[in-house]
Amino acid sequence: MELNWLQDILTKIEYVGPFDIRRLPEDETWVVIPFDKVFDLVKFIMEDDSTWHLSAITGQDTGGQIELLYHFWLRHGLTLCTRLAYENPQIKSITALIPGAAFYEREAAEMLGIGFTELKDESVLLLPDAWGKGWPLRKEKKDKHDD
Amino acid sequence: MMTKLKIPIGPHHPLLKEPISFLLTVEGERVLESSMRLGYVHRGIERLCQERTYVQAVHLIERICGICSHVHSTTYSHAVETLLGLEVPLRAHYIRALLCELERIHSHLLWLGVLAKNIGLDTVFMYTWRDREIVLDIMEELSGGRVSHTINIIGGVKIDLDQKMMDMISEKLEELAPKLTIALGLFENEPTVRIRTQGIGVITKEEARRHCVVGPIARASGVDIDVRRDIPRPPYDSLEFNVITHTDGDVWARTLVRIMETRESHRLIQQILSQLPSGDIAVKAKRRVPPGEVVCRFEAPRGELFYYIRSDGSNQPARIKIRTPTLPALSTLPEQLRDVNLADAPVILSGVDLCIACADR
Repeated sequence: MELNWLQDILTKIEYVGPFDIRRLPEDETWVVIPFDKVFDLVKFIMEDDSTWHLSAITGQDTGGQIELLYHFWLRHGLTLCTRLAYENPQIKSITALIPGAAFYEREAAEMLGIGFTELKDESVLLLPDAWGKGWPLRKEKKDKHDD
Repeated sequence: MMTKLKIPIGPHHPLLKEPISFLLTVEGERVLESSMRLGYVHRGIERLCQERTYVQAVHLIERICGICSHVHSTTYSHAVETLLGLEVPLRAHYIRALLCELERIHSHLLWLGVLAKNIGLDTVFMYTWRDREIVLDIMEELSGGRVSHTINIIGGVKIDLDQKMMDMISEKLEELAPKLTIALGLFENEPTVRIRTQGIGVITKEEARRHCVVGPIARASGVDIDVRRDIPRPPYDSLEFNVITHTDGDVWARTLVRIMETRESHRLIQQILSQLPSGDIAVKAKRRVPPGEVVCRFEAPRGELFYYIRSDGSNQPARIKIRTPTLPALSTLPEQLRDVNLADAPVILSGVDLCIACADR
C-alpha cells in the first residue's frame, strides 16, 4: 500500500499527527488513530474506493486500555487501530457507512462492554439472554459467578 | 385483511441442521419481515484459545466447524508461523492445499444436497451426498478423520503422502469425476431447480459489498474476490484455476458458482498431486512466540476466513479473533426475507449456506 495515499487521507480528516503507521507481515498496514477520527477516516476510505472490504472488527483488552481494530482489505490489508478508555469505552458506530459492520460491533459491545453510539440494534449477538454482568473478553473477567 | 402470524423456525427445527432461531412475520403466504437470533452454539473459542498454548489451540480451532475444520487450523497455523518467522516446507503447503480443496468439494456437495432437499429433489440430494462420501473416504484414508483431520501442526503437517496414498486419491478422483458430471448436470439441466432458485434471494453487488459478504455468495453477485488468487501463496501461486463469478446474485447464480468451483477444485487436486514437491513436511517450531501481531486470511469453502493473533511473547496467544465467512452472509438474511413467498424461505435460508457452528464459534 502507498503510504502517501494513507497520509493524504489522514490529512483530509484534519489529523495532524503523530503518524503511527507500521507494516505488518502478510502485506498488512497498521495505522493508529484517535477514536474520534475513526468514522471520518472510514468515510474517506469508502469514498476513495467503495470496493474496500471490511473483513472484521476486533476488540481487545490490552490491559488498562480497550483497543478496537478495523481490518480492511483491498488488494492489501489495512488495519485501523484506535484506543478507548477502559471505563465506559464509547465510539461512534460505522454502520451508517457499512451496514455489515453491525454484527462485528454488536459482538465487540457484548464481549468487551464497548458502547457504539448510533448503533441501531444493540441486542446481544452470541451471549445467552440470561447472561449477567461482565464481559467475557475483559481480562479481569474470571468467572461469571464472581460478580 | 389477513391476520399477521409469527412463525418461529428454530432454534431446534427439522429444516435446520444446526441451532439458530428465525422469526418470520407472515400475512397469508407472504413473509413480511424476519428476525434472527444467533449464539446457541457459542462456545467462547476465542477466549478458550487465550487460556491454552499455541500448540493446544490447534486442536480446539479444528473443532470450530464440522465441515471446514482443516482450513481453520491452516489459517491459524499459517498466522502463528508468520509470527515465528518460519519457512514452512513447500510440500507441507501442497498437502494443506490438497485437504483445503477436498474440503471445498465436500462443502459444496453438501450444500447442493441441502438445496436439493429443500426444493423437493430428494433423489438429487441422495446423489450429491453419496458422491460426497468418496471425498470423505479420501480424507479418512489420509488423516484418519472424516471431518476433523488434525494434520496441521505449527511448522507444517504431520501426515505425509506416499505413492500408495497418491494412487488411492487419483483412483478415487477418477471414480468421482463421472459421478460429479451426472449430479452437477442434474442441477444445471433440471427445470425445477431453475424455477425454484431463479430470482430468489437476490443480493445485488452493492448489497454484497455493504454487508461485507465474501466467498461464493459474493462471487455470485459479481464481487470478484478470492483469497487464493488475491493473496498469492504457495501452492496456489503456481496452480492454474479460475475464479468463478456470476452477475445475477440469486440462489441460481450461487448454485452455478458452486458447481463450477467444485469442478475447479477437482482440477486443482489433480494439479497438486502431479506437482507435489519432495522434501520435508514440517520444521521445528519454538513454543514461545515473539511479541507481535498478525492478520491472516485464507479462502474457506464459504469464503474469506479471517484470523487476527496478538502475541505477548509467551507460549499462549494474548488475543485470537476469528471472523468466519458465514457471519456477514447471515446479516443479509433480513433483507432477503422481506416480502417473499413463504415457500421460498427454505430456499433463501439454504442459499446463504448456513454454518452456525462457524458463525457462533
